[in-house]
Formats: sequence, structure tokens, C-alpha cells
Amino acid sequence: MGRTVPTYRQALEERLKRWDEFARLLTTPEERAAFETLRLGARRYVAQATYVGSPDLLESILLSVLLDLARRLPADGTAPAPRR
Amino acid sequence: MTGAAGPLPDAWLLDITESSDGRSVVLWTKERTTGRVRRTAVEYRPPFYVAGSRRDLTDLLPRLAGRPTVERVRPVVLRPSVFDHRPRTVLEVVPVRNAQRRALARTVDTLGGFVRFTLFDVDLGPPQLYYLAHGLYPFAPVVGRGARLTATEPAETVDYTFPPLVTARLEVTLTGPHHGRLPPNEGTVAAVRLGDVTLEGPEEDLLRALVGELARADPDVLLTRGGDARDVPWLYRRAAALGLGPDAFALGREPVGFRPARAARSFATYGRILYRAATYPVPGRFHLDRENSFLFDDADLAGLVDAARLSRLSLSTVARQSPGTCFTAMEMAEALRRGFHVPWKKNRPESFRRADRLVAADRGGVIFVPPVGVFGPVDEFDFASLFPHIMVRKNLSAETLECRCCPTSPIRAPGLGYRSCTRTVGLIPRTLEPLLARRLAYKAAVKDPHLPAEERARLVGRVKMLKWILVTAFGYQGYRNARFGRIECHEAINAYARELLADLVPAAERAGYRVVHGIVDSLWLAPTDPTHPPDPEGFARSVSARTGLPLGYEGRYRWIVFLPAVTHGLGVPNRYYGVYESGEFKLRGIGGRRHDTTGLVRRFEGEMLNLFGPAGGPDAFRALLPVALRRADDFAAQVRAGTWPVDELVITHRLGQASDAFVTFTDSVAALRQLEREGVRREAGQTVRYVILDRTSRSYRDRVRPEELLDGHEGYDPDAYLELLARDAETLLGPFGIVRDDLLARWGYGGPVARGPYRSPEQVVQSALDGAAASGGTF
Repeated sequence: MGRTVPTYRQALEERLKRWDEFARLLTTPEERAAFETLRLGARRYVAQATYVGSPDLLESILLSVLLDLARRLPADGTAPAPRR
Repeated sequence: MTGAAGPLPDAWLLDITESSDGRSVVLWTKERTTGRVRRTAVEYRPPFYVAGSRRDLTDLLPRLAGRPTVERVRPVVLRPSVFDHRPRTVLEVVPVRNAQRRALARTVDTLGGFVRFTLFDVDLGPPQLYYLAHGLYPFAPVVGRGARLTATEPAETVDYTFPPLVTARLEVTLTGPHHGRLPPNEGTVAAVRLGDVTLEGPEEDLLRALVGELARADPDVLLTRGGDARDVPWLYRRAAALGLGPDAFALGREPVGFRPARAARSFATYGRILYRAATYPVPGRFHLDRENSFLFDDADLAGLVDAARLSRLSLSTVARQSPGTCFTAMEMAEALRRGFHVPWKKNRPESFRRADRLVAADRGGVIFVPPVGVFGPVDEFDFASLFPHIMVRKNLSAETLECRCCPTSPIRAPGLGYRSCTRTVGLIPRTLEPLLARRLAYKAAVKDPHLPAEERARLVGRVKMLKWILVTAFGYQGYRNARFGRIECHEAINAYARELLADLVPAAERAGYRVVHGIVDSLWLAPTDPTHPPDPEGFARSVSARTGLPLGYEGRYRWIVFLPAVTHGLGVPNRYYGVYESGEFKLRGIGGRRHDTTGLVRRFEGEMLNLFGPAGGPDAFRALLPVALRRADDFAAQVRAGTWPVDELVITHRLGQASDAFVTFTDSVAALRQLEREGVRREAGQTVRYVILDRTSRSYRDRVRPEELLDGHEGYDPDAYLELLARDAETLLGPFGIVRDDLLARWGYGGPVARGPYRSPEQVVQSALDGAAASGGTF
């Protein structure tokens, strides 16, 4: 396990390294903080993503990130108030 | 659990060893009435088997028959492998001498181009095969004599009488030029302690007196601390130097050459490098070295005796091998008992699969990311020996998975579909089931309040031993060289375990819990309404009944702190500390649990746990944080003052490589070089222990001091230890906003390491010769 096929955790970390390249050209602290939120969201649901065992890595990552964002929305489904 | 039924034995079979003539084994029996140990040599040359196509075997037979190392070769009909459904013709080969078994087997393998022949029973030792062929086992109570021994009860008996073993501590003291606490390299034997007797005097008389004392006290077990690396080789080296041969000086019950039976080695296991000292044979007795035995430390003599009985391995072997070796030997014993044979090399490559199937199959258990912070009350539940129970319940074994006889089997691994046989119980479940039953029986027996302390200690040792064996049983399914392992079994076990945990999430919610954390076979659940918590025992019982797998209630935490990763701040699955309502702590992944922790850090953690322990819940815990910070400041002040006792500042480092392989000048290298100057070499997997004196120094002598060379008056480097303290404080209290750098700033820390320019030893010597005062350090 984790040798022939990388575990989801390993594959995720590998992909997040690529995302770091993306983040290098972000220019405001707000964007960098928001980007950090995405990375945390991706890591928060490794147990669930591993359980699915999808061959599509990006599907699992996006699902994790979306869920992390969705759980921050108000429960009644209205759009969150804009920051600042 | 004392006293066995059945006829009184005449004797106990202690051990079977190989005889030096290569044609027989030696049976060591201890008479019940006199306690005398008898040596009986019995001629025994077990065969190994060669399977292959009829044509290849017909070609092979005459080529083997003419060889001088072959005593006998003939075709026989049997079912060699657990995968064979019908008996077939194989060749039975008996070597002239037992020691030639492997060499001869390699020849056969070569003749077959490494593909045409499958060999069986090659690497089981003649003693192991003798036990199995004669229904015997180590420490069996026996009747009869010599070659006609019969065990009075089977090896699997749970309630057996512990064999009457005489044990004696062995400790050798050398004399010679000492450096600190290091033993002298060229020392001579000054004293030997055997049991309660201490022998002293001129060296040769002393060694002869030791032989006399061994004959008089006649211990079965010699117990040492570091005997494999030190006491035994010291004795042999000095005996040889004085011209005493094996006939004049023997530690065992028969003369044997002063050579190790197994050389020292460093090896990697589970991501760590370990070191095992050479072992010297003491035939007729057992030498158990607490420092060279992973299992002895944990499972004690009673656990080892239990493992020896079940695995048919000698007690000396069990003590020095891993639990995995014991489990493999138990599988081998089970296979042979059922008339199968043991393949020499695993000849069952993993089958080809589509990549998406592999991704789906090759996954571990469910491991949640816990929330960071303090929680309570929290109930903890664990499945006892979950994986072995799954293997037994789902009949998971290499030969029962995807069998040809049950295409419509209803037992299928969730998500993967691997079928299990419904007709035959597999080798692994057959091996495991009695072990599980045995462990439960011992665990139940330990609860008896009237149990004598000695008997209780034995049962606890056996429970621990079995726990280790059961843990490795799972890992060995995935290990490519495991004889009876198969990767699909490993995958199936994980699939069943994932499904189980996924089912438990809604079950827990229905019971009035919410899931805080879960790792593979453990769950941490918080009552949804803390004022009316659910009945944890009832929940465990209902889950156990529904799944057929034993879920145990470990206890209720008053509070438990889940710790974050330094890198990203989310929770780490196995780093937490908490206190049960009973007042007992559970700590995972924090400093005090680690083998390299200094006394300072351990003391600090002890202080913190004593402080937080009585807190009734998360709110009370948080209220104590200011007090905790003040305590940390007190620790820091004393460290900074330079008055902390040096023996609590010793750092332990396990070497990942040989000492000459280091390329950077680390603290360990500095310590190793000082030890080497005293003639002590450390190998990969051994540890080095030292105190940091001045971490800015480029001189190996000034930078650290090895523990062995401490005089207790050294001045240490306060900043180095402030860093350790701050790191540990952050580990424990990080979730509450305690940051290492803030602490260091508050404690007046001098800043990170700034070293002067590197100067080679040659430069230092040169400047000393030039009469210039050396600034970086002196030789």
C-alpha cells in the first residue's frame, strides 16, 4: 500500500505542491488567505475521499474543497455577505 | 488456571537442537522428579520436496541420485501446496547432512532454471520438523524416553502447567583502563555473577569456577542485559585468550565452538533502522538477552514460552525474532499438521489488474482528520483484534479467496467483490482462531481477583505476546515474501474494515453520539447531549451483536486534546492526550511517548499532566492555561540558569546509518567521534546518547559529551534545551495559541545556531603546533 499506487493522502500532497506554483503569483494577502482555505479544505476530507477510492483524483479534491466552502454558507442557502 | 489434567509427565521437553554430526537432532528433557536435564541424540534427517512437471522430475531424479550430498531421492505422491486440489507426484530428497539442505535446494532450483521446480519444506529447521513430525513442541510435558517421547497434552492447551525452569542472572564485570562508564576494551574478567553467587579471583580460576557453578546451579535460562553484545562474547574471548577450549569452557550443556550462530546485523523495519547483536549458541540452555529481544521486554518469559509452544520454535529463537516470524512458524505448523507442505519461495506473483481496479483495491482503513482542540466528555471504543477477527469471520486466506469451488459465494469483500470460500476453512483462519480464543481466555482469567500474583504476571505476558502475533498476522498478508500471504487478502481485510467503520457513523448517531474521531478500529464519540450521555456499554454490546465483531468500551474521557500538524494546522490522527474518568492518562505521539525524549521534557510533560489531570472538562482545562504558562516559565528559568541536572538532559539518537557514512557534522557525529576515540563503534540501528555542551562549537569535543563519558559537572548549552522545552510546550498547548517563538522570546533565548567557520582537525592541530591559542576548540 502506498508503493505501487500512491495513497490518496500522498497523491493529494503531490497535487497541492503543484498548486503552490499557482499561489506564487497571487498578489494580495486576501487572495493568499483564500487560497490557504482551499488547501485546508482539500486536506480536511481525506478519510472520506479515501473511502470513495475514485480513480479521479481531482474529483475527490474538488468535492472536498466545495464541501468545505459549502459548510461555511448560511444554513438557509442565502449567499454569504461579501467580506469587508 | 493452574494444573493440567491427564497423566503426570515423566519430563518436560525443553528444546531440540541440531547435532554437530549433521545427521541427528538432540532432545533436551528435564526430568520431573529429579530436575535433571538429559541429552538424547536421535538420528533424524528430514526430506524436502520438489514439485514440477512429470517430465522435469523424471529428468531431475537421476541427476540428483548420483550426487555425493544426496542420501536418498524418490518419487512420492502427496498434496504439497494448499492450492493443490489433488495429490500429485513429487520428489522426496534427503541430504546426507542436515546442514546441506539449503545448498542442495539451491542446486535443484538452479537446475530448474529457477522456474521449473517449486520446493517445499526447505527452510524449516530439523528441530522444527522433528517437533511437527512427532506431535511434540517446546516445553511439552512428555512420557517415554529418547526417540519415543509422547506429549501428554496438545500444544494448544490453554490451561497448562508452566514448565519448572531454573533461571539465573548472568553478569560479567571487566577490569582494565576505564574511560567514564565505558567498559574497558582490552579488559580482563574481574568478576562474574551467576544467580546469587558472585565469583572473583585470578581470571583462569574464575572462568573454571564459573563452569563449576554452572554445573552446580544448572540453570535452564541465563538472563542478561546486553549478553549477546557483551557478557557472552567477553567470556568466550577471554577463555580463548587463556587457551581454554570449548571442552574446558562451555556455557551450555554441551561443548560448542566460540563462534556466533548468527552474525550481528542492521536492518530496516517499519521505517526504522534496528540493530541486532550477534548471538552465540548455548546448547541445552537458553540465553535470553533483554536488550536484544523485542518480545522479552514486553511479553516476559511466560509469553515467550507460550509462543515457543505454538510456533515450534526454540525459546532462544522466539526471544530474538519478531512476532511475524512466530506467526509464520505457526502457519507452517498448521499447514504441516493438515498434510500440506511449506513452499520455500513464494511463487505466486500478483495477478495483473486494470489501474482503476488497483486504485480501488489498494487502500487502507478509515482514518479521520480529528478536530483540533480540547473536547469532553468523549467515549472511546475499540474493536479488539479487529483484523484477525475479520480474517476468521470472512474466511480470508490465500487459498480461500476467489476459490474455484464457490463461484456464487455470498461472502464478498465490499466494493471489491473478492469471494471467500464457503466449503473449506482457510489456513490463516485456522491458525488465527485458536489464538483469538486463547487471548480471550487469558484476558478473562486475568480478571479473577483471587489469582496469585505470579500466575497473573504469566497471563499478562501471554496476552501481550498474543497481541503482537495477532497484529503482525495482518501485516504479513501484504508483505511480498510472506509465505502464505496474498495481497488480495490484505485488500479484502481493509475493505471489510472500512465498511464496518462507515456503518458505525449512523449507528453512533442513532445511539445519541456524534463522531469526533476514528482510526481504522477505534472510535471517539461525544454524547450529543452531555447531560444525558448514552449507555456506552449498551452501545458496544449492540454493535458487537450486530456485526459479530467484538467492540469494546475503553472508557470516558473527562477531556481529550487532539493536536495539530505543524505544517498545515489540521488535526493529526494519532497525536492526542487525554484523561479518563478513572484518572488514567492516554498519550499518543507526544514527547513522553517517544524513546528519544530527554528527562527534562518528560518531567515538563509530567508537570503539565499533573496540572491538567484533575480538570473535570474542557472549560476547567482552559482555565488552567495561565498556570501552565507560569510553570513553563519556571522550567525555562532554571534551564537558563544552567542548574538543571545534566543526566536529565541526555538526548538519545538512533543511528540511521553507520557512523562513517555521515557527511554532515551533527551532534551525533560529534558524540560518535568521541566514542570512537575510546574504541567504541556504533552501528546503524544502535543509539548514541549525549548532552549538548555548546551547539555553536565546531569542535567535536566541545559540542557534546556522550553519556558514557559524563562526569556530572559539565556545563550544558541552555539555548539548546530552551528550544526543546519550547517545542514541547507548543506541542502540548499549541491548540490554545501557545507558540514556540513567543515562548523563546519571553525566556530570553539567544537565537538560532551561529557557528564559527569550520576548521578541520588538521587545521586545529596545526594551529596548536604553531603555538597559537585555538579559539574554536582544543584537542
